[in-house]
Amino acid sequence: MTAPLPVADRAETLRTVRTLLRPRRRLAVSGFAVLTAATAVGLLTPPLLGHVVDLVAQRRPAEALTRPAVLLVAVALVQAAGTALGLGLVARLGETMLADLRERFLDRVLRLSLRRVEQAGAGDLTSRVGNDVTVIAEAVRSALPELARSLLAIVLTLVALAVLDWRFLLAALLAAPVQWHTARWYARRSSTLYSAHRTAVATQQQQLLETIGGAPTVRALRQSDAQVDRVVARSTAAVDLYLRAIRLLTRFYGRLNLAEFIALSAVLAGGYLLVGAGAVTIGGTAAAALYVHHLFGPMNSALRLVDDAQVAAASLARLAGVVQAEPPPAPHPAQPADGAVKAADLHFAYRPGHPVLAGVTIDLTDGETVAVVGASGAGKTTLAQLVAGVHRPGSGSVTIGGVDLADLTDADRRRTVALVTQEVHVFAGTLADDLRLARPDADDDALYAALADVEALDWALALPQGLQTVVGDGGHRLAVTEAQQLALARLILADPKVVILDEATADAGSAGARVLERAAARALRGRTALVVAHRLTQAAGADRIVVLDAGRVVETGTHDELRSRPDGRYATLWRAWSRSR
Amino acid sequence: MTAAERARNRAGGRLLRQAVAGQRRLVAVGAVLAVGHQAGEALVPVLIGTIVDEAVATGSGAALIRWLLVLAVVFAGLSACYRFAARAGERAAEQAAHDLRRRLARRVVAPAGGAETGRLPGELVNVASADAARVGAVNMAVTAGAAAFAALATTAVVLLQMSVPLGLVVLLGAPPVLLLAQVLGRPLQRRSETEQENAGHAAGVAADLVAGIRVLKGIGAEGTALARYRRISRSSLRATIRAADAQAGHDGALVAVSGVFIAAVALVGARLALRGDITVGDLIAAVGLALFLLGPLSIVTWVNGQLAQARGSAVRVAEVLDAPPAVPPATREPDRPVRGELVLQDVADGPLRVPRLRIAPGEFVGVVALDPAAGTALVRALAREADPAAGTVRLDDRPLTELEPAAVRAVIGTAQHDSVLFDDTVRDTVAGPGEAPADRVRLTAVLAGTTVDELVRTLPDGLDTRVGDRGRALSGGQRQRLVLARALAAEPPVLVLHDPTTAVDAVTEAHIADRLRALRAGRTTVLVTTSPALLAVADRVVVLSGDADPVTGTHAALVRDDARYAAAVLA
Repeated sequence: MTAPLPVADRAETLRTVRTLLRPRRRLAVSGFAVLTAATAVGLLTPPLLGHVVDLVAQRRPAEALTRPAVLLVAVALVQAAGTALGLGLVARLGETMLADLRERFLDRVLRLSLRRVEQAGAGDLTSRVGNDVTVIAEAVRSALPELARSLLAIVLTLVALAVLDWRFLLAALLAAPVQWHTARWYARRSSTLYSAHRTAVATQQQQLLETIGGAPTVRALRQSDAQVDRVVARSTAAVDLYLRAIRLLTRFYGRLNLAEFIALSAVLAGGYLLVGAGAVTIGGTAAAALYVHHLFGPMNSALRLVDDAQVAAASLARLAGVVQAEPPPAPHPAQPADGAVKAADLHFAYRPGHPVLAGVTIDLTDGETVAVVGASGAGKTTLAQLVAGVHRPGSGSVTIGGVDLADLTDADRRRTVALVTQEVHVFAGTLADDLRLARPDADDDALYAALADVEALDWALALPQGLQTVVGDGGHRLAVTEAQQLALARLILADPKVVILDEATADAGSAGARVLERAAARALRGRTALVVAHRLTQAAGADRIVVLDAGRVVETGTHDELRSRPDGRYATLWRAWSRSR
Repeated sequence: MTAAERARNRAGGRLLRQAVAGQRRLVAVGAVLAVGHQAGEALVPVLIGTIVDEAVATGSGAALIRWLLVLAVVFAGLSACYRFAARAGERAAEQAAHDLRRRLARRVVAPAGGAETGRLPGELVNVASADAARVGAVNMAVTAGAAAFAALATTAVVLLQMSVPLGLVVLLGAPPVLLLAQVLGRPLQRRSETEQENAGHAAGVAADLVAGIRVLKGIGAEGTALARYRRISRSSLRATIRAADAQAGHDGALVAVSGVFIAAVALVGARLALRGDITVGDLIAAVGLALFLLGPLSIVTWVNGQLAQARGSAVRVAEVLDAPPAVPPATREPDRPVRGELVLQDVADGPLRVPRLRIAPGEFVGVVALDPAAGTALVRALAREADPAAGTVRLDDRPLTELEPAAVRAVIGTAQHDSVLFDDTVRDTVAGPGEAPADRVRLTAVLAGTTVDELVRTLPDGLDTRVGDRGRALSGGQRQRLVLARALAAEPPVLVLHDPTTAVDAVTEAHIADRLRALRAGRTTVLVTTSPALLAVADRVVVLSGDADPVTGTHAALVRDDARYAAAVLA
């Protein structure tokens, strides 16, 4: 059933990067040019120090030292200015590209059909938008500038070594095979280990949330020990993986220490031979040794960052996969005449051979409210989703105002049909912002009116800052009933012709359910509505009731008609519900 | 600072010291080895100078080989020291954090409760993860700090031995240099921190929109949401760029200041060498050491920052660990055998007012609270989650306040309306984790009575299907049926159910109502609900109206005679 969203291959990922880079070519070139210049200027320090050494070795007068000292200061200032400027430019480049990428990504994600979102599973999307975007952002913010600086430092230092004497370069390169091998050895192991560690930390967080968020239940069931044991087990797993990663990292640095020793001793031995042969000065040797010593830091950073770069590239491929995905072709545009809904002979199965709907036909006239009643598994939610266009029927058709749902563009369909389920989400931000998602141009009075319609005005006004109170994640927490009232208020503001309510009042307690039923009734006024009801009072208030059983319509009629059928399914239900009447 | 703040800070300090003391062996080993590592790093530039002096300048091959061997030994030593120091320090940090996490989890789910009071779950999770990690990281900071001081000392000794004036220039020069870089960088960095916080906002908004994608699509609000996200993303971008500029400025300042410092050391050192006070090798070593010194010095400032962060975190952790219990502790066990009689006398707690109510052993009673908050308060009082502000609740003539909270819950089982499911299989959820289903016939009856058996048939792995994090793999109605089955399967002598079927469809609810009595036959059962289907099967219904004595009667009689009741349950 599940089909994860696409992941871009290498060529597609590169294409995405190029697309993002193209409008900023000048910024990229100037940023790297400035950084290169700054690094190159910085490399003048060791030869200047070497020159000082030579001056001392030649017993020159103290006044001769002034010039190199002034130059050293000048080098430092120029390098500093260049570094600051270059890093700023590179950051600007990375950050604007990142902002573009995340906006494009969200754009594509929000355009995905609900069907595609369901297929992908919530976890896939959440991890791409949360984890992958963060990984790339961190790479852009820390790894990228450091990597750029390190690589520049390495390349230019090697050039400088060659300028001193090409044989110094050869000596330093003796370490390269060890470094090459170490980097490959590390990258192979680290990616899997780090991703296992990230997963373990996420699992640990989830466990903490489950245990802490469910603390009253844990106490009621006297499962404290068992829950603490679970937290300990998850935490232990994360700690163990982290320590394994540390062991790997320290072994990595151990191998690089060997490479450092090889390079340094080779350059010193080379200096010994070259000075003996009169090819270089003592100061030249000192400069070469200092170069190599300075190379340790950038070399270690660059090799370690290879791994970060790999992880970021994998995340980038996952974002690029979505960004590159073709938007679905737009069908012929058509406008529904009104809100009349005709569902004809709908068949649907999630798994072949297990039909959920087996020939359901329902007509809703414009403005009519029809309640769907039935046991769990009767196909109520599936029917709601087919009418809302979340899924396409296996066979049969759904038309709204004379237009086939399949012929409506996604945007048109959503303007016409709204679906509210028991899944509530309060968007982080002010209460007003949350409501204006449904209608951006609504003024405060419209918001107040919508809230009043769903009986939410009292608590909304009682919030610390009224409509401007920050709600949702990290803000004021709304109760389940309040959140669902908010959903109904959004529905009123969105003002669609057709509304599908799928147990939109289910998760509130019984007192909340009543408030919500009243609110729902008001939100549905003047619209065509298909209401999946679990409380019979809600069904009783509808214009017509459809009883579903095992994917078929078994009864249909008004509350009074159905109630008076002696052995009717609905009548039996109603008697059980109101046994006392 | 107020006395309360001082007390909080003291508790935090104590916790911090405990965190280090608990790992003292690892911290000591790590510190000693880290000292070795830093000393080795300090020796490398010294050896470069020595080799230039003794081998390159003199042309002595024997000296070259001798000193290269020394260099090899130093490298081997510093490498090994680093490896085991890092492992010891990180292990100490992780173990301390792990230990705190365990204590925090234990405190939060402790029978006496109280740790959640005034704190959102997200906040507590943050304390148990980020704050615990920061407190644990003190161990790494102590290790690194010891090493940095040792490196400073080593450098000082080497330099002063070489030449007192040069040593003084480097040693007295380095701290002000670093300070200057810090002073130059501080306003920038402070700005950078707030900007960075601001910048994180875009990621949060995106995750929030995606989490609500079904809701957005349900009302066709994607376009609006995207426009809003673009705005936030752009303002976030501006903030990040300002932060990055600040950071770049700070990096540049560091480059400038340390470059000037090196130039000064080179100038002073060269003058000394020209006068013959030090050798050329000493000069090279001094320049190398001056550069090296910036490393340990920045470690010292890093340690300082870590300690400041850890202090704040330790205060938060200590506050949770020392949170007062929600119900005063008691040690007595309920009398056995349990009869299952409940008596409420003069109970008052917010909207809940019960002058007197007796529920006989084995009775099956419905309770309708006209104010839903009163129902919640009643269930919490019976579960000893919170003792009522006034009055007493007695179980078999024993006030609940005299009984140990967990022991009360062993006798009075409760399924509150907001009960959650844990990520277990359906079987373990209902029968209890790891427990063999003691009575298969009973379990089957419970599953059938709650229609969980029907649900199980639709699940991919039947009873062995995992319900997912907080039961998220299931629908609201399915979760509620499992919560009910779990409460029934535990067979407590007294069972309190709070709105057990609000998310269940009418067909299923009628089925559950039919079987509930049989499953609780002979045991006391209290149903706090307004569902007519459930109330109709109760022996009697008690109506809590918040004023006088509760009204009592059968569902049928109450519906007939009490208009407020009829309105509450049938509206």
